[in-house]
Amino acid sequence: MEYSNPELPEGINTGESNHLKDFVILTTGVIGVIIITLTVLITIVDNFADKIPFEVEQSLPVDIFFKQKSNESLPPYLKNISEKVIQSFDLPEPMKITVHYVNSDTVNAYATLGGHIVLYRGLLEKLKHEDELAMLIAHEVAHVKYRHPILSVSHGIVMGVVMSLLSTSAGTSAISDLMGHTGMVTLMQYSREYEYQSDKDAIQAIVKIYGHAEGARGLFEVLNSVQKNNEPIELFSTHPLTDNRIIQANQMNKKYSEPNKAHNFTPLSAEFESWLISQKEKNKLSIRKQ
Amino acid sequence: MLDLIVFISLLAMGYGFGRYSESKHYISIRKREKQLNAIPAIASRIPPHGNPNFDSHLVSGSVVISVDYFKRFIAGLRNIVGGRVSTYETLLDRARREAILRMKEDAQQRGAEMVFNIKLETASIHKGQRGAIGSVEVLAYGTALIPNT
Repeated sequence: MEYSNPELPEGINTGESNHLKDFVILTTGVIGVIIITLTVLITIVDNFADKIPFEVEQSLPVDIFFKQKSNESLPPYLKNISEKVIQSFDLPEPMKITVHYVNSDTVNAYATLGGHIVLYRGLLEKLKHEDELAMLIAHEVAHVKYRHPILSVSHGIVMGVVMSLLSTSAGTSAISDLMGHTGMVTLMQYSREYEYQSDKDAIQAIVKIYGHAEGARGLFEVLNSVQKNNEPIELFSTHPLTDNRIIQANQMNKKYSEPNKAHNFTPLSAEFESWLISQKEKNKLSIRKQ
Repeated sequence: MLDLIVFISLLAMGYGFGRYSESKHYISIRKREKQLNAIPAIASRIPPHGNPNFDSHLVSGSVVISVDYFKRFIAGLRNIVGGRVSTYETLLDRARREAILRMKEDAQQRGAEMVFNIKLETASIHKGQRGAIGSVEVLAYGTALIPNT
């Protein structure tokens, strides 16, 4: 009996597959499926989320989070401007805005569930004029008006559910990272749109107060310089300040400003500025004590 | 952004190095397979009849090959959508053929004429994150027949 090992033809076990082509098809496929799934689910959820009564939001004890951080009451000047801004909005009946102040170096301001607006000292310090302060508050009030906080929370829940279902089936962390990033970018599209929408209403509100919207330009300049200096700015990790926002603000400023009025900035009150300085000292002392 | 750069360079590195070492390995496999063709490896359990003047020896060859980042990534995506994991097919093909070659080299050094009753075993010896395959070991072993004249 003769034994031999004939030479086997190549490609029986491995096949003629192009790995790069595989990669492109699979990656775009997975990214596409995530974007489509999230977009469809968010569209469905958005239909329900803004029908949740505002009273439900108000009944949630969200304010304990920032009350823990700082128990400071608003100085009369800040209170006064907030009220002016809120009044210029004509908010629907049950909507009530509560402005909070946190004595912290963080450069941030946000609106959250239940009509709560939180301003951080870090950002207030950077503002140069009253117009900018009014624009900042108006921007956050507009978020509440359009119910962006509850919409964003719903998006976050959708994203969480989709990701936890998908990432368990992903073999490696690289793939769940890919999925996570795709999801984040999809969600960011919504939050960017919300920024544009809020800017529009905020500009109209400050035009009502000052007759022009230079405050918008001033605020964006402040935010831009903060961003360039790479200071920790949480506001823009979720919604970056794009050039488009500035362009929109400039266009609206031209369109809505009263034609025959000088575009002068209103200065911040001296009392408010010295209050901010004293707050900073107070914060330093409390950190040292700890 | 930094994440993306790291991710893409890892993929590119995996693809580049993986492809280079794979094609080099295949060239070497084909060359050595021709050289060692004189020693047939037979799966039959029963030794050939007729010539009793053989010593028999256990010979073995084993190899461990690691998967690269690119291959693992594609296999991970395949985990979701299904289908042939072609990137792992070449990995295991190489490992099996290399293991048999090493076994035959062992047999050649002992002056064997052939190896019969060969068996192959595969194991994934390193589980990466979430049980993803990191590297595989393939062991080939058989009985070498050495003429005892």
